This record gives sequence, structure tokens and C-alpha cells, in this order.
Amino acid sequence: MTTGRAVGIDLGTSNSVVAVIDRDGAPRILTTAEGSTTMPSLVWFSPDGPIVGEAAREGLDHSPDVTIFGAKRLLGRRYDHPEVRKLARTLPYELIEAPNGDAWIQLAASRSISPEEVLALILRELRRTAEQFLLEPVTRAVITVPAWYDAGQRQATKDAAAIAGMTVMRLLSEPTAAALGHGAHRGHDRRYLVCDLGGGTFDVAAVDVEAGVFEVLATTGDAFLGGDDIDRALVENLVRDVRQSRGFDISTDAVAIERLRLAAQRAKHELSEHTTTKLYVAELAQLPSGKGVEYSRTVRRDEVELWTSPILKRLEQPVREALRRSGRKREEIEEILLVGGMTRMPAVRRELARVGGREANMIANPEEVVAIGAALEVARLDGTIEGVLLIDVAARGLAMSAAGGECEMVIAQSAVVPTREHRLLATRQEEQTRIEFDVWEGESPDPTLNRHLGRYAVVDLPLAPAGDVLVLVEVTIDTDGVARFGATELVSGERLTLEPVQHAGLSRADVTRLARQLTEAS
Amino acid sequence: MATARTLHVKCTTWEQVDVFCTRKLRKGKLLSMRVPFQTEIGAPVTLGLELPNQVVIAIDGTVMRASPIESEGKPSGKTWIELELTGFTDDVRHRITAMAAGEAEPDEEIQIIVAPPAQRTSPRIATEEMRTDERELFQQLSGELRRLRQAAVHEVLGVSRDAEPEEIRASWKNLIRRHHPDLVARRNAPALSHLAEELTILANRAYDRLRQALVAEGRRAVIGSTLSAPPGWLVGFEDMSSAGGSAPKPSPAPTRMPTAPPIVAARPQPGTAQGGEAFEQRARVMLGQGDSGTAREVLAAALVVYPRSKPLRSLYYVATALAALQDGELMLAQSQLETALAHHESCIEAAQLLEHVKKHGGHDPDLMKRLFR
Repeated sequence: MTTGRAVGIDLGTSNSVVAVIDRDGAPRILTTAEGSTTMPSLVWFSPDGPIVGEAAREGLDHSPDVTIFGAKRLLGRRYDHPEVRKLARTLPYELIEAPNGDAWIQLAASRSISPEEVLALILRELRRTAEQFLLEPVTRAVITVPAWYDAGQRQATKDAAAIAGMTVMRLLSEPTAAALGHGAHRGHDRRYLVCDLGGGTFDVAAVDVEAGVFEVLATTGDAFLGGDDIDRALVENLVRDVRQSRGFDISTDAVAIERLRLAAQRAKHELSEHTTTKLYVAELAQLPSGKGVEYSRTVRRDEVELWTSPILKRLEQPVREALRRSGRKREEIEEILLVGGMTRMPAVRRELARVGGREANMIANPEEVVAIGAALEVARLDGTIEGVLLIDVAARGLAMSAAGGECEMVIAQSAVVPTREHRLLATRQEEQTRIEFDVWEGESPDPTLNRHLGRYAVVDLPLAPAGDVLVLVEVTIDTDGVARFGATELVSGERLTLEPVQHAGLSRADVTRLARQLTEAS
Repeated sequence: MATARTLHVKCTTWEQVDVFCTRKLRKGKLLSMRVPFQTEIGAPVTLGLELPNQVVIAIDGTVMRASPIESEGKPSGKTWIELELTGFTDDVRHRITAMAAGEAEPDEEIQIIVAPPAQRTSPRIATEEMRTDERELFQQLSGELRRLRQAAVHEVLGVSRDAEPEEIRASWKNLIRRHHPDLVARRNAPALSHLAEELTILANRAYDRLRQALVAEGRRAVIGSTLSAPPGWLVGFEDMSSAGGSAPKPSPAPTRMPTAPPIVAARPQPGTAQGGEAFEQRARVMLGQGDSGTAREVLAAALVVYPRSKPLRSLYYVATALAALQDGELMLAQSQLETALAHHESCIEAAQLLEHVKKHGGHDPDLMKRLFR
């Protein structure tokens, strides 16, 4: 029943990569129509319909308010999350609160779109790239996700793939994918520390490789730390420079900011190789007279390192936390793997080497290694690579609470997945037919410190005196890190119906509807 | 006149052989089982033990006990027998062990599950081939699952109760290497994937609990990654607040909770499938000491495993009632005791307690001690 080929996808915050396994068993990165191996994770909702990838860069210039970048950062996030609020202030597009409290994107006065749909458009584009190369339909994919993604965010990623018409074979943690792509399964047994600094997120994972078994011991990360933040720091400083040297303020001009951001990004890339570079924007802004303002400036590496030092300092904490959780001392780590385009920056390498206590191993293709790992995972699941096994842990604990009480941990943080735990719920009133409970991500007994994943109700309970009906709620975390719930009535042993009362992310019906819409539109 | 009979026991995996030799056989040579024929004490029975490598070993034995099984009052033609396998000598045992050691190399075992990928050129034949070996694998996995579901955590991993951390880790990894759902993913058979996932869940849970217990005991700072689990996590159950308003105080968190309560591996007696005596005893001891909160948690846990056990259920309500009594909630206690009796009318403790509460009211530690000792 498996028809269609499978691909490995690195769905990145700023760039995405798709890879396949060739007939000879070697992984191959596919190039986009523009001939690049990475595709910007950009969607421009142009008047003629959505444009994805390199071509959407034009939108950044013209209409930054409807050109969406970094949608992955918003995936499965609540609108009122402090980090989202902070991010919203710096985004050229508008965020809006969805009815269930999720952060959505406002495209026009009456049109909003979920991050899942934006990612689906990107995934569909990657799928097309692969189909053009393979000349076969692509229906399955291994998609990489940050290791710290919680159950809700993982589900959201799966939903995005479903909208794009692909079944997810596996959601693979990016650090694990990196280690796999690096070929750790072919080498010696090693204790790795994988540091992945990409466009939007920073992931750290302690991974042990022993006789082909990859065991993720701990995963940490910072969801709001990445190349975009470096860019933003550069832009902020350049805006100040414009104000000081040219005497006018462009901080409220979205178009000017965007142009400056693109120039700063280029400069940042150059500074990985050189110690100075020239930054040039032909038409930064317009004077009231209508005359364009040109901006050019020499940027030094040390200058940029100074500007970004507050951001680089944030690399330390996740690394320390990963070491603590893995029960490893710094000296016990045998290799530090650097993944993600941002690790090309010398200051990043220096900082990670300092925190990690050893010189980091820079791999040749830090942008592509994750996608290669994803493609190898496809091969592994299809059975062409044998003897390799990936063991992951739950990135976050899961807690439950009933009737507004305290949260009680159900799934412990770092429990090996797949796993299952249960809680007993009892009726509190006579002839109660329904028990509601909340599910939280986090470990604290205080609900306000955890993230609300959803509220579910066990319905159609048998009629009985208070406390006589016992419901066993089982929470299963599967190999993708996605949570499933099931309820059983203890006395009769019957399965009960669980109804989602309110939950983050899209509903099943939404996903099906959106998938149909997208197929019809293309 | 006793007729000689031959029984065939087929073990498809070396684990099954191991289970047979170590668990099924008591005192190394006594085997209780149900047989589909009538027999009597002293009858010779030969056991043909088929090993995974197709070698069949004939083991002679004699029926030591026999009790005919009746179904609905009529003889069913089946008999429970206890067989003394006189032919199961140390020599035979060594032969089996040697064969198991020769065969059960870890790599081999993985290959049993991961067959080489099916040829694409002849998909029809490939699926047919897969079906037979899938069916076998299915049976093998479901047998394993049934066995492990009944086992205590250390038994799931096949280690002793006081195993060393390295041992626990190694046997967990071994189990995962055999059963991880990824190993059957390419077969695209949902039933197999489900079984493999269930087995892996059991193994992972057992591993998490054992390593957490080791950390709690202070024997090791960390095994694998640091689990952030609250003290009560090992029990896996919350202190239920069933009756409105009278939420009992949470029992003092057990500082040392050595793995799951010892569940005795399922006895091959389907008639007495109630089980859970170990749980019951533990709960009784706790109730005798007045620790009704912990007793209740234990009972709640036991009820998951033995949902139909009347003694456990009634005892659960007795425990709730005791907690209520300790809080001075007479009405609640009374209703809980009545519930206990409704579930299991011959629950002496509930009956006596109810009588006591009705007559005297209130809590009496001495009565507890008398009742539960």
C-alpha cells in the first residue's frame, strides 16, 4: 500500500532542505529550481497567490507585511506567550490571536492564516522539487524538528505535512539527524554533543552512539535564539548608525528595515570568511523630496561580535543544561558537532568551544547535514540501512490536572519514548457522566508555570454514586514524541470516548479541509 | 490403565525456551499444565520440546497429580496435570543452554526480525512471503507481550531485583534492539508496529522505573539521562480526591519505592485469574500500620492490572473509608464501606469496620491491627 517515494526534509526556520536516497544508497541533496541546495523558508502572499522560496525574496522588498519568514517559530505557540509577544514587535507582519489562543498570522484585515498552513506551503514546494527530480509522486517524508519541540508543536508539524499531502514517517530530532547525517553510525562509539544553531533556533543534544544505537540522553535548546536574532542585532545597530551618521530615523520604515536586514545578512556571511566587509544599500529610504538615500559602510568582524555578544552569551545555558541532564561532565564528551549555518560564525564556534571545553568539530556542510540525516532515516525505516537504532527521550514532561487542581506529572522529563503513563480520575458527584481534565506541558505543580496543551473530556460515563466510577486515563508518547490519550472505565474495562474540549493546534477536520483546499488550488 | 502420551511444546524463540526452563518448571522439573485428554497419576508422558532451531528434545516424565477439569458441571475431557520431568537432567539442560548460546547472538536476533528487504521486482511473491513470516512474528511478539505484561519491572528487563546499573542498561538496550517499532516499520503492517510499540513501551517504562529507583536509593547519581520525576511518580497514581470537598491529604511521599510491587508471573490457571495477592498483602500491611493513603495508591495501581479482582476493589474502598475516618468524616467512611461490601459481600474487614463505625463511630487503631494482621 505504500505508493510514492519518501524524502527527508529539514524544515528550517529560515532555510529548508530536501534530500533523497539514490538508488545506489547514497544520500543526495536536491537543488531547487534556482539551483540552490537550500530553499528559504519564505512565503510571499502576493496578489497572484502564494510564492514560496527564493522567488519570495522579492516580497521581502515590496511587501514585507505579507511575506512570512520564520513561521516555524510561531508553530504551536500561544499568542500571549511572552517570547511571542517580544517577537511580534520585531516582525514586519502582524500576529493575531486565534480562537483557541494560538498565534496566527494576519495577512489582511479579514484574512488570517495559521503557521501550519504557511509551513504546508513550504513543504509542498519541497515536495514538488523532489517530484521533479524523482519523476515519481512523493507521499511520505521524514521531517526534522527541534529536539525541544513539545507534543503540541510536533503534532502541528505533522498537520502541516498532512496539509501538504504527505504522511510523516517519523519526526526526527534535528541533533539526532545531524549525528546520523554526519555518519556517526559508521564510525566509532562516541559520546557526542550536538550544537545546532540555525536561523531561528538553538538546539543542543547529548547523543551517545554505541554499536549503531543512537541514544539521545538529553535535549535542550532556545527557541528564540538563532541567525535571525543576530541579524536583528545588526539591524538595530545599523539603524542607530544611520541615525547618528545621516541624521534620520528609519526604525519605523518597514521597507528600509527589511533592505537593511538583507544587506546585514550578506555582510554577516562575508564576515565568517573575512575580517572586514562593505555593506551597501542602494536605496535605503526616500527623502521627503523623493530623492533616494544611499547607505554604505565598512563593517568589521570585531564590531559585529561586540554587537552580538549579548546574544552569543545565551549559547552557554542550554549547553550546560544539556550536560547536566545527560549526567555527563564536560570532559566525558568526546566530540562536539556543530550544525547549522550560524556555526560558521567564528564567534559562535569560539563560544561553543569555550562552554564545551574542547575544540568543536566543524563539519563541511553544516546546512545540509540535517537533511542528509533525514534521508538516511527514510532509508533506515524502509529497511535499507540495518542495525541502526535511534532512541529518544521526551523533551518535556507532561502533566495533568482535573477540576482546576494542581498539575501532576504524568510523563517525566527525559523519559525514554515511546512510553505510556496513566492517571486515575474519579467522579465527584452522583450520576456524573463527564469528567474533564487538562493536559499541560511542563513539570511544575503550578499550572501557570506550565503550557496548556488542551482540555479533554471523558464522556458517557455509567451512572453511579460519587467516586464509584473510576476512569483510567492513559497518555502515550509515541516515537514521534506526539501525545495520544485513551480512557478506560476501570470497573467494566470498557473504552470510553475522549472528546477534545479545547486544544492548541488545528483540529482533524481543519487539517482535512485545508489539505483538500491546497490540492484543489494547485 | 495408564496410557503413555506425548506432548508437544513448541518454543519459537530462545526467550520462550528460557521462560520454559526457568519459570514454567518448578524445582527444575515440575510442570503444571492443562492437557486435552484424561489421564491418571503415574501415567508416563513424554514431552517433545521443540527448540527454535527445529531440534526436538524428548523428555520423559510421569504424571504426579491429575485433576479432571469440569465445564458447567460436566467432565470436559481435559485434565490439569502436574508432570515430573524425570528426563530433564542437567545434561539436557546443558545441551539446551549450549544451543541457545550458539544461536542467540545479538546480531542474529535482530536479523530474525529484520528480514532482508523484499525484492521490488516480484512484489506479489514478496507480500505472500511476508505474510507467513509476519504471522509468525505476530504470534511471537504477542506471546512476548502477554508474558511481559504480567511481569514485574525487573522481570521485564530480565534482571534480578538488585541488578547493577550497567546490567539494567544493557538488558534494556537489548530488549529495545529486538522490539523497537522501527525494526518492523518497513513491513507496513499496523498490527506488528502496534505490538512492537507496546513491547517497547513496556521495556522503556521498566527501564525508567528501575533507573529512577536506583537514583532514589542513592546507588547511582544518574543512569542514562536525568529523569525529572516527582517522588510519587513510580507508583504512577495520584491520590484521588473522589468525594467532593473531602480531598484527603496526600500521603507522605514514599522516599524509597523499590520498583513496582512484586507481581508474581501469571500462573497457568485460568480459573483463578483474579491474582493480585501480592498487592493485597502489601496493602493489608500498610492498612495495619494505619497508612491508608499509601495503601490506597497501591490498590489503585493493582486495580489497573487486576480490574476485576473483587478483594482488591473492596479493599480499595476500605482504604478510602479509613482515610475518611482518620479525617473524622464518618458519613463518607460509612458510604465507602457500604460500597466495599457492595463490590464484595464477603469482605470481612468492611463488614466489621462498618459495624464498628455504626456502633462506636470514629477511628480505632487497635481494631485496624486486629483486622489486618
